[in-house]
Amino acid sequence: MLMSLIAARLVQLQGVDRATYAVAAAAQRLHTVTLTATRGMITDRSGHPLAETIDARDIVADPSEITNPAKVADVLAPVLQIKRATLVRELTGTNQYSRLAAAVSPAEGDAVDALNLAGISTPDASRRIYPDGALASNVVGFVGASGQGLGGLELSYQRQLAGRNGVAHYEVGANGAPIPDGRDLTTAAKAGEGLRLTLQRDIQFEAQQAITAQVKATHALSGTVIVMNPRNGQVLALAVAPGFDPNDLSKASSADLGDPAVSDAYEPGSVIKSVTVSAALQNGLVTPKSKFVIPSSLSYGGSRFHDAENHGTEHLTLTGILAYSSNIGAIEIAKRVGDQRLYDYLRAFGFGQPTGVGLPGESAGVLLPVDQWSGTTLPTLAFGQGLSVTAMQVASLYSTIANNGVRVTPNIVEGTIGSNGQLKRVAAPHRQQVISPDVAAKMRQILESVTTNEGTAPAARIPGYRIAGKTGTANRANGHGGYTGAGYDATFVGMVPADDPKLVCEVVLERPIRGYFGGLVAAPVFKTVMSFALRTLGIAPTFTKPAKAKLTW
Amino acid sequence: MTITSLAGRPRARRTAAARSPIATLIDLLSRPQASYYLVIGTTSLLLVLGLIMVLSASSVTSFDSSGSSFTIAGRQALWVVIGMPALLVAARLPVKAYRMLAYPLMLASIVLLFAVLVPGVGQNVSGATRWIALPGGMQLQPSEPAKLALVLWGADLLTRKEKLLADTKHLLVPLLPMALLMAGLVMVEPDMGTTIVLVLVLLALLFTAGAQLGLFAKLGLSLGGLAGLLAIAEPYRMQRLVGFRDPCAKQHALSVGYQACQGLYAISSGGWFGVGLGGSREKFGYLPNTYTDYIFAIIGEELGLLGTLLVLALFGLLAYASIRIAQRCRDRFSQLATAGVTAWLLGQALVNMGAVVGLLPITGIPLPLVSFGGSALVPTMFAIGMLISFARCEPTTAKALAARRAARGRRSARLAWSR
Repeated sequence: MLMSLIAARLVQLQGVDRATYAVAAAAQRLHTVTLTATRGMITDRSGHPLAETIDARDIVADPSEITNPAKVADVLAPVLQIKRATLVRELTGTNQYSRLAAAVSPAEGDAVDALNLAGISTPDASRRIYPDGALASNVVGFVGASGQGLGGLELSYQRQLAGRNGVAHYEVGANGAPIPDGRDLTTAAKAGEGLRLTLQRDIQFEAQQAITAQVKATHALSGTVIVMNPRNGQVLALAVAPGFDPNDLSKASSADLGDPAVSDAYEPGSVIKSVTVSAALQNGLVTPKSKFVIPSSLSYGGSRFHDAENHGTEHLTLTGILAYSSNIGAIEIAKRVGDQRLYDYLRAFGFGQPTGVGLPGESAGVLLPVDQWSGTTLPTLAFGQGLSVTAMQVASLYSTIANNGVRVTPNIVEGTIGSNGQLKRVAAPHRQQVISPDVAAKMRQILESVTTNEGTAPAARIPGYRIAGKTGTANRANGHGGYTGAGYDATFVGMVPADDPKLVCEVVLERPIRGYFGGLVAAPVFKTVMSFALRTLGIAPTFTKPAKAKLTW
Repeated sequence: MTITSLAGRPRARRTAAARSPIATLIDLLSRPQASYYLVIGTTSLLLVLGLIMVLSASSVTSFDSSGSSFTIAGRQALWVVIGMPALLVAARLPVKAYRMLAYPLMLASIVLLFAVLVPGVGQNVSGATRWIALPGGMQLQPSEPAKLALVLWGADLLTRKEKLLADTKHLLVPLLPMALLMAGLVMVEPDMGTTIVLVLVLLALLFTAGAQLGLFAKLGLSLGGLAGLLAIAEPYRMQRLVGFRDPCAKQHALSVGYQACQGLYAISSGGWFGVGLGGSREKFGYLPNTYTDYIFAIIGEELGLLGTLLVLALFGLLAYASIRIAQRCRDRFSQLATAGVTAWLLGQALVNMGAVVGLLPITGIPLPLVSFGGSALVPTMFAIGMLISFARCEPTTAKALAARRAARGRRSARLAWSR
């Protein structure tokens, strides 16, 4: 009788109702492990690593297994260089997991293993390191504690860099060891793609040194240097001061973690005059030799405009207007161009929209459409107030002039590097003819006069090279609808060699106090960085002489 | 068809093919030597299955503790090698010899059962003092030969008193006090499972001796009451009783119900046909005692319902053969001893399997012939040998076997001649 009961029970357990217990049995031995995908490397244009992931170890304690926390802490404290009291607190308790240290070096992990402490383990981990520290940190960005990109390209290329974590499901015995021949469903991790940037490490370093020094010397709030190849829009250096060291975010101010070159919009000042003049030239309204009578002041739209320095009535050529950076001259030209045309050219040169360089948090700047303009919008826009721009937009404007009028979308990522080690280039940058090559050449000739002794920026000159450029010294908005007391933003943006530009460089200093004219504080940084870049890239002087242009009449 | 060819009844062989299989089976079972072959057949199958399953179930534990998967199974094979002569000798012993063995064996058992309780002699393993250490790392569990001793001694006693048994006093004294003494000693170790088996043997002896049903009712009530008291006295027994209702319930699964629950996991994971020989997952540290008390769960996991029902059927056949022997044997001692052995082996098997499938509380006894353990295996094999010996006491069987030997002799003579 008992026998048939057992038989019936067996039929129930193994036949009819077997799912109940079999499923629970399968669940108790199924172990799931995340296989972490290695994050891709970020390198400069020649493959020097700017961010890479290395093997590391976590130091993990199981406090429930530790009988004498004080003793364990005594041994661990000197190895991990963690305060003994902190360790005792972490090691005491009935919980089973406490991370004592994250991502320490494998050597440190081995040292802890060698201590052979019960309840202490050193599982594999990984660590994101930035071998050059603060170098290009504003571009490269940084990762959070979990290795997730939180800033810069680490953030905007998170998906490609992170790859895809794999997962392993396998059966383990009660001691946690896999069961031989057990069920094993493993989806391998897909390693993240590498990222090759267009940055040139040495130029980046030089730019960063120079701008950091100048920000300090001029007591500026911040500074930016952009070096660009105008032919293809590639950014060779994008330096920001003050920067931060992504290896140690605890020392960084959160305000410094972004990239102001693309995220901060400011009123650019006189560098915008190139748009005004280009528009006039392109429409045949003026020539470089056109003669202008510049009064000491000018009324427009109910307001009275002055130049930076008081003067009597002057007789300037078009070239002279830019060389001396005459606001009144720029207004005179803008009047001929007209509202809609000026607006159209500003848009065509890329203002009022993000450049698309690929960095996160890029600002579009502010450029109001014509129907929202007031009576004074045209004259203020003519010399670069009343709109806000990013440093990248200004660099793009001058790259367009340097590149025979073709605007190439600035780009900073050359491509991704897949598991086969091959570079997969990103889509070619967008190209758009904004002004004719002829107008662009005329603009360069005009801008070359800026760096003459009569111009606003002789300090930008590099012996042997012809330099075209433009200064900007803009009033800073004071946040109360005016400009009083807020200081200035100083800019110099130029190209070299002027007759066949290979490089464009822009230097912006935010609110410098010791000197504030763009030609005085920004131009020397341009000279330092460009001298180095020309040498580094082996760009020879053109050995041509600039035509002597008349500035006055 | 081996049995047919050995039957020595040519007339039956000719007609067997024409009849239905059931009729053939009935015909086979009606032959005088059927119980003889059934005992040999079921025992061999259970032993072989046991060895294979001990190897499979112990391989992980064995590898962990000794570095070789075969260490534990090798020891068991050694026990089989030791047990086999015991079985063969027992199969040849006459009834007289068994009766002569009864008192010495009983005496030795009582002494050993006392000895195991002496601190320093008995070895305490996980709270129970059941083993006496022997030289060479072997261990002796006195309660295992004690079962055999009770069977032989009880059968001998009741045979001597055959004419006085109508008197209940003669029926119970000194059998009941001695049996209870043994059971009590085993209980103190503590070993609930073996105690139950000893009581089952006692009841089987009394039943076969012709005790009245009323007596069984009284005995049953008092023993039940005693068991209840014992359960309450020991917290772990009470917990087992509580845990066995639903061992996988959240509050039990990791404590009192752990082993029972993992056993059910193993059995259910096997399904109809099992995960395959050697494929058990539960043996990787989840299920305790895989190769001893819980080997039936591993059989269930690896061989499925097919395997468990086969084991159940083999024990059923063994019981059937034993009962047949008891019925057909004229000798009183043989009947009583056979009944005792049957109660022992079948009772132990059912208590073991019943616990594994969750019908009974866990009592911690091995599955006869299958589980690992030499102390249990050698007396068991000796008892099987005794059954074989009794099977031959059937007068017709003895004749049939003699005929078979003669036939074998003729065959070899023919072969020699044809050469």
